[in-house]
Amino acid sequence: MNRSPTPYLLATPAGVLLVGLLIGPLVLLLRVSLYEPSGGRGFFVPHTWTLTNYATVTDAYGLRLLGFTVAFAVTVATLSVALGYPLALFVRAMRSPWQQLALAGVLLPKLASLFVLLFGLQQLLGEAGPLQQFLLATGVIATPLRLVRSWWGAVVAEVVLILPYVVLVLGVQLGRIEPTWEAAARGLGASSLQVFARLTLPLSLPGLALAGQLALMWGMGALLGPLLLGGPEQTTLSVEIHRQAFEYGRWPRAAALAVLLAGSVGLVVFTFRSLFGLLLGKH
Amino acid sequence: MLRRGLWLLGWIALAALSAPLGYAVWVSFSPDSFLTPPTTNWSPRWYIAFVADRRWTFALVRSLFVGCGSALVAVLTGTPLALAVTRYRFAGRGLLAVTTLLPACVPAAVLAMGLLPLLYLAGLWGNVLGLILAHGLLGLPVVYLIVQTQLEQMPPNLEAAARGLGASRWQATVRVTLPLLRPAILAGAAAALALSFNESMLAIFLATPTTETLPAVIWPQLRYAPSPLVAVASCVSVALAAGMVLLLSLLGVKLC
Repeated sequence: MNRSPTPYLLATPAGVLLVGLLIGPLVLLLRVSLYEPSGGRGFFVPHTWTLTNYATVTDAYGLRLLGFTVAFAVTVATLSVALGYPLALFVRAMRSPWQQLALAGVLLPKLASLFVLLFGLQQLLGEAGPLQQFLLATGVIATPLRLVRSWWGAVVAEVVLILPYVVLVLGVQLGRIEPTWEAAARGLGASSLQVFARLTLPLSLPGLALAGQLALMWGMGALLGPLLLGGPEQTTLSVEIHRQAFEYGRWPRAAALAVLLAGSVGLVVFTFRSLFGLLLGKH
Repeated sequence: MLRRGLWLLGWIALAALSAPLGYAVWVSFSPDSFLTPPTTNWSPRWYIAFVADRRWTFALVRSLFVGCGSALVAVLTGTPLALAVTRYRFAGRGLLAVTTLLPACVPAAVLAMGLLPLLYLAGLWGNVLGLILAHGLLGLPVVYLIVQTQLEQMPPNLEAAARGLGASRWQATVRVTLPLLRPAILAGAAAALALSFNESMLAIFLATPTTETLPAVIWPQLRYAPSPLVAVASCVSVALAAGMVLLLSLLGVKLC
């Protein structure tokens, strides 16, 4: 252990920022969730302590929201990883200029605002949008589909937002596997399927675990996808927090919901890690 | 045949990821108020409307200002932290490294519900400084991760050599380590700037009329009445993002 003050001095600016704008707000969140909700004036009644907010967020409606949020996150994470894995393999198999082009195609939308992507998606998937018009014109569908303001609209939106990160994380992990190992396995008589199942897949599992965890975490926090491409049915906890805080001005209730959300994100990630660990233990 | 089919499928998937962006840009050149993409009649009408509207231009300038400020905050906090974590062993090191990644893990709605009362009580509600610090917090893990990766790839004996030639630890850091870190710091700053410039999750919680960033102006319009102006704002944000990537590659930083 180093006794010099240097590392502490170096870590101080970040420490101050983290304590002031992350730890502080999270503690304050807990405090706000214990205030009595105000009846119209201000956002809460100061100097009060109550557990009512937790009672209202863990009633049947609150638990249904939690259930929906978890189901939504699991769907989004499963789809993101199921689509992202082959995509990462595909990008990895590309030759030089194409690979950069593909990576830029994956990354560029992430540099733009989430709103841009969601706006484009709204227009693309809408009933007057080119996708539905094309499907109608070619006779694939007889009547317009309800893609915007629906479960699938919300899911597609979140997958589009999360998928690039999954491809990136898996790409980094796959990049650590030397192509010569696969060539060696093939030279020793393994088929393409065997090379994948016994070499590429096991070696990419750490990346798969990280990508799955990130996708679950962000899926649990889903806000803009359900809000802009989902309907009233697609209310995740984040959407409800936003509604309580801004449509009703009930900060204590929104804060209690936020505590519930934070706790369930931790629980979901913990469960995922345990399950993944069990899965790996079997190998 | 199968191989070719998979190839095609892969490119379609990649195209689908960029399609919403491309479509938004296309719609922005619409000649009328309907959100139909122009085929023959491309018009700059909505760009002119964008530039003429002070609410949009103010928001654009404010977004850039907040972006630069928060990138600075992220670099000034993230770089020394990465140095401390990779080059020293000290009490609380592991905890600090984990806590630094939390801003990227905590759901935006949770963080926002904590920041909202904090800024409110600290009198920073409606003040750009609050936004700069909040965005700086989001940029911190990005800068930290990029600089830390670079530090771990750097041979530590370069510093040892400098020390062996008589440099103090401070001199070795300032004259050897930091110049070598410059591409990573620049990449981190650009990423933090892009992150702040397009930050949309906290924006819908923390925006006030005096701190409206570009996404904060887009938000109500997008939710209640999408107009081609939203597409124009999208286009501006994409152009700036692409410009930043180009600038980065000119500075000699590889994307991956």
